[in-house]
Amino acid sequence: MNILNRSHNATVAKIRAMYGKRITSQDYGELINKQSVSEIADYLKKNTHYSNILSSVDVNSVHRGFLESLLARHYFEVYLKITGFERINRQEFYNFRIIKAEIEVILSCIRHINANSEDQITDIPIYINGMTCFDLIEIAKVRSFEELLDFLKKTPYYDVIRKERTDENGKVDFSACEYKLRSYYFERIEKNVAGYSKKEAEMLNSMLLTDIDLINVINAYRMTSFFGADEKEIKPMMFRFSGRLSEAKQEEIYSAPDKAEFIRRFSKTYYGRQIADSGLDMNDLEDNANRLRYKYAKLALKSSSKASVSVYAFTYLMGVELSNLIRIIEGVRYGMPSKQIEKLIIV
Amino acid sequence: MSIERMEFVNIAGLTKDLDAVLVRLSECGCFHIESASKIAGKDKGFSSFKEENPYTAVLKKLGEIAAQTGVKPESTDFSDIESKSASALEKYVDDVRARLKKLIEKKKAAEDKLNAYEQALNQVNHLKGLDADFQQIFSCEYIKVRFGRLPVDSYNKLPYYNDKTFYFTYFTEETEYYWGVYFTPASCAEEIDDIFQSLYFERMHIADFVHGTSEDAVEELKAMIDENRTETDACKKDIAELMEKEKTQLDKIFTMYKSRHDNFDLRNKAAITGDKFLIVGFVPKGDSEGFMKLFDDMDGVSVLMQPADANGKLQPPIKLKNNKFTKPFSMFVEMYGLPSYNGINPTTFVAITYTLLFGIMFGDVGQGLVLAILGALLWKFKKFSLGPILTRVGISGAVFGLIYGSVFGFEELLDPVYEALGITFLPFKIMENVTTILIGAIVLGVFIMFISILINIIIGIKNKQLESALFGNNGVAGLIFFGSILVGAVATLFGAHIVNAAYIIIFVILPLAAMFMREPLSCWVKGKKYHMEGGVGDFIASNFFEVFEFLLGYATNTLSFVRIGGFVLSHASMMLVVMALADYVSAGAVPVVVIIGNIFVMGIEGLLVGIQTLRLEFYEIFSRFYSGDGIPFTPVKINYDETIE
Repeated sequence: MNILNRSHNATVAKIRAMYGKRITSQDYGELINKQSVSEIADYLKKNTHYSNILSSVDVNSVHRGFLESLLARHYFEVYLKITGFERINRQEFYNFRIIKAEIEVILSCIRHINANSEDQITDIPIYINGMTCFDLIEIAKVRSFEELLDFLKKTPYYDVIRKERTDENGKVDFSACEYKLRSYYFERIEKNVAGYSKKEAEMLNSMLLTDIDLINVINAYRMTSFFGADEKEIKPMMFRFSGRLSEAKQEEIYSAPDKAEFIRRFSKTYYGRQIADSGLDMNDLEDNANRLRYKYAKLALKSSSKASVSVYAFTYLMGVELSNLIRIIEGVRYGMPSKQIEKLIIV
Repeated sequence: MSIERMEFVNIAGLTKDLDAVLVRLSECGCFHIESASKIAGKDKGFSSFKEENPYTAVLKKLGEIAAQTGVKPESTDFSDIESKSASALEKYVDDVRARLKKLIEKKKAAEDKLNAYEQALNQVNHLKGLDADFQQIFSCEYIKVRFGRLPVDSYNKLPYYNDKTFYFTYFTEETEYYWGVYFTPASCAEEIDDIFQSLYFERMHIADFVHGTSEDAVEELKAMIDENRTETDACKKDIAELMEKEKTQLDKIFTMYKSRHDNFDLRNKAAITGDKFLIVGFVPKGDSEGFMKLFDDMDGVSVLMQPADANGKLQPPIKLKNNKFTKPFSMFVEMYGLPSYNGINPTTFVAITYTLLFGIMFGDVGQGLVLAILGALLWKFKKFSLGPILTRVGISGAVFGLIYGSVFGFEELLDPVYEALGITFLPFKIMENVTTILIGAIVLGVFIMFISILINIIIGIKNKQLESALFGNNGVAGLIFFGSILVGAVATLFGAHIVNAAYIIIFVILPLAAMFMREPLSCWVKGKKYHMEGGVGDFIASNFFEVFEFLLGYATNTLSFVRIGGFVLSHASMMLVVMALADYVSAGAVPVVVIIGNIFVMGIEGLLVGIQTLRLEFYEIFSRFYSGDGIPFTPVKINYDETIE
């Protein structure tokens, strides 16, 4: 039997059990109403699956950044735990989260280069050092785009961004780099998915393409509403994959002259109807498209018995949970009203 | 068994006698007080007391003493201090408090010191391996030293700062932290402190009393902790001695003040008009004669007894009348809710059915007797309220065990006894009579359901709730329908052809129609006009679904009793497994397997059967006739709890 096509029911069962311990709406409700980061840390330590990682933390004096970094590490440890459970991490597909993390580190590095900042080390997820194809301490020492290219020479990322050039201020086009790196990420996943059985590959592709569709829509919406970009500017920045949004449909949306028209055209698509059917406000397109992504991932996790689908969906859901918690921590830390924080939470 | 009949009592008198009346009421133990303002309000010229309770302050002080020392006050005879003035007693309480306060402050100071030493020891323990004098380290002029803990992730980032001037070393490590120290030249301290701050380094300030190397400091701290612990213990002993010396007097003051406090609170229940008061409440009929005599010597006080339902505004409280056998089961009834005053007390029915059903499911002579003894012991030594129930159901289990011929899972042990006695129909072997047991369970269930429906009919007629009694699913219509279906089914099974068109029309369709039309029919019987709300369509739709639910209910409730048979079989099967396991082990281990197996089965099966029987009681039986909306009979009495609101 092809190793890729072996069933990994234990992994699926484990994921479902772990999903059962997720942060619930009730937990979010409690957390939103906390008065300080200490209270949030205390709640997470006493009532959630984060209790282990927070066990030795002094909740009374915990720093916001440290708390967030611990939660992020827990998220990664959960990913490693599920992929290491039946050693499915030996299959290339399951490295998707490491690849994504590598890309995030490279993008963070570019951001720091453009900002002439030297404290990139604080953002580095050092706990994945050794799993990545480059040294995280060394990349934090990079100070220019040329140095970065030189550093990445022996990695697959070199070819992806090597054609990018810096301007007279030494700055590089961040959006172009981001587009190329993320395209590379999707291409690699697509390539890895091809090795699975037809049915499993179809399920993975469907999940992936739906996700890309919505990412494209969100990006296009941002470009239209914030920068007034037209179709010619938007189209090259869209990932070349598409699921339920045909090329014609995409063109129709991207050519919308303004935000209102964009929303109107989007509302007639499959995803637009889904948002409307879920009772969500179409005007809050970005957040609600993300809510739709979350909904699809939940559905995939519940309905699929394939480890690959479960791992991918669960990792996404856990990622959303992490983002929710970070939003709450920052919202509470900076005195945001609880109603406002609540709106940012995806459940 | 029934519900205790009550008398509605009106007590009237002069306000100067009110306190004396209230004392007698709280001492008699049979008076359920109601707020008189419910029947004698402002409109009738009555008012109520709204005075602050003068005994609260002293009781709060006594409560504080109890909370600080952990010595709970107890009620005691206080006759010898009654003559003492309030100010003298209050002065005494203040004096004890003052002495206690001094001792507590001393104890707290000792404890604070102890905590500080323990915290320092905990910190220094993390620095074990530091072979240098703390004081010497801190006295360095050109080197800055910071002790503390660094998160593991931050520690892994230190190589990034290789070009910076500092040296970090750790002594111990935890899951998330390295406990250690960093050294940096004083000139770079600001920059290095910033770096470590960004790495979430948690600095630890070593207390001044820590001297020598870490090893020396640990030893010194341990000695200081021991010394301080002795001091703390001495303070605790002084407090205990003070309380031992003063407890008797404090208890007397507490009892006197608490009784006066609670009686004073009862004043709020009285209604006042001019210089007269009115108190209302209920007394059990059996106690009414003695209650009347309570006030014979008080000329200005008059007591009027009336029937319990004399005043429609006040619902008579419920006191269940039970005999020795059924009394423990009243716990289950109270758990569900008390019956209404005109309802029936279902405790006897519960006691009989619970004991019977549990016994059937748990049938084993040995295990039943063990359960009975365990229940008796739990009651005797722990006053565990489930104890007497366990005794009763245990005996029932033992009786059914005799029928099944099972003793601690040995199914053949009683066979020779029955043979010797010439009893051929016993033992009734469970595993050989599976079908009979399952059918028997359903028959028993049907019987219990019939009785429950009959009880509902009786209550309904008694309370003039004709809709429920005649036309409801638990009324006459339901009984005829359910009965006829069962009779028809059984008759058909045995080849008797009684089911024909007339049978179906009279016993099936007509009762169904009655249930469907129960609201208009009950109005018609009462001679009232029926108003259809929401139109004919709404009426048909809602009644159709309700009747459909009734039909489903008959089927599911009947089948629900199959669980009785199921648990009989599961008990026998579990013991069969235990015996099979015993066959696989060596002869010496057999008693161990049998004993552990019996304990396991008794625990699991006892719990399951107990819960399942209670479920049958509440869901299949109580739901047919019981509303549980009664108010409990709570006679006024002094609550000797030190907590004061």
